[in-house]
Amino acid sequence: MAKINTAGVDTERVKERLDEHKTKMKLSLKACAHCTLCAESCFLYMARDKDPKYTPSYKFLNSIGLLYKKKGMVDKVTLGEIRDNVWERCALCTRCYCPLGINIPEMIALARSICREQGVYPRFDRE
Amino acid sequence: METSALFDFIRGPLAWISFIVFFLGLIFQFYRFFNLTKKNPHVIYNPRPRKKITGGSVQDFIKRASLSVFGVNPVMVIVTTVFHLCLIIAPVFLLAHNMLLKNAIGISLFSFSESFVDTLTVIFLFCGLFFLLRRILVARVRAITDWNDYFILFLATAPFITGYLAYHQTFADHYRLVISLHILAGELMLMAVPFTKFVHMVFFFVFRFVIESEYSLGKGDRTW
Repeated sequence: MAKINTAGVDTERVKERLDEHKTKMKLSLKACAHCTLCAESCFLYMARDKDPKYTPSYKFLNSIGLLYKKKGMVDKVTLGEIRDNVWERCALCTRCYCPLGINIPEMIALARSICREQGVYPRFDRE
Repeated sequence: METSALFDFIRGPLAWISFIVFFLGLIFQFYRFFNLTKKNPHVIYNPRPRKKITGGSVQDFIKRASLSVFGVNPVMVIVTTVFHLCLIIAPVFLLAHNMLLKNAIGISLFSFSESFVDTLTVIFLFCGLFFLLRRILVARVRAITDWNDYFILFLATAPFITGYLAYHQTFADHYRLVISLHILAGELMLMAVPFTKFVHMVFFFVFRFVIESEYSLGKGDRTW
């Protein structure tokens, strides 16, 4: 397996943050049945021609789910991809509806917080 | 281990082990959930005032339903509801299972006719096929599908496929093998419930009824 270049990422801190919310995160990831019934509750999904990348569960699984799966051992590129999922594709309007009751916005907010700590966030003044 | 000894193990001790793992696993998950949450000391979040479900006209009910997930995805909601109802009703109220229960512990539940449960099994399998096709064909579902989703679907449908084959004696010459696979598939599914994605069976109720949220179906008086 190729070694991940974690330069510039405080992986210990990411892991620490994940551990703080480990049980709830694990339960939420496990409870997600990958049904995508949450899709239409996202106004961005509807506005972006039903692009699967805007499905709330996609954003949830490809942000906090990815961080959890990799146990915090992520590189800057991965954090950049997570940034796209939690900022560019999510307005955190908290209107997403999960039939199983998973608190998707809270998970997205956690991913945002972890990214922000690692210096990965939208720079509206530069971009 | 000889074949008959293996058969005896599958229908004997392993059945008890699977029931114990299933029930203890569920208790553990409930305990973990209540440990993680606390009674909400004050109302932080006031959900939208609820309208009474009963007493409304049919038009009101249809209007409410059309505004819910049912109105957005009616086919999926109907299929998933039927799937889950069959998943519970068919095995629990099957005459053969209840006879085994009576032999084992002396009590049994009400049983539906075998032909009715057979119909439920076929309906269940068609619903499973719908899920499989949806996973393969619908882009947004495919985007978040991994091998585990197929495995879980297989694990859920395997007891029903083998049960159907055993009941109809499709492979009459190998009946013992088919019934062994059926028992084994059922036991594996039971043991998997508390520790795999099947756990949504529990969390649907605790998340939707116990945790406070805008979409809470119950009191929602606990918080993380």
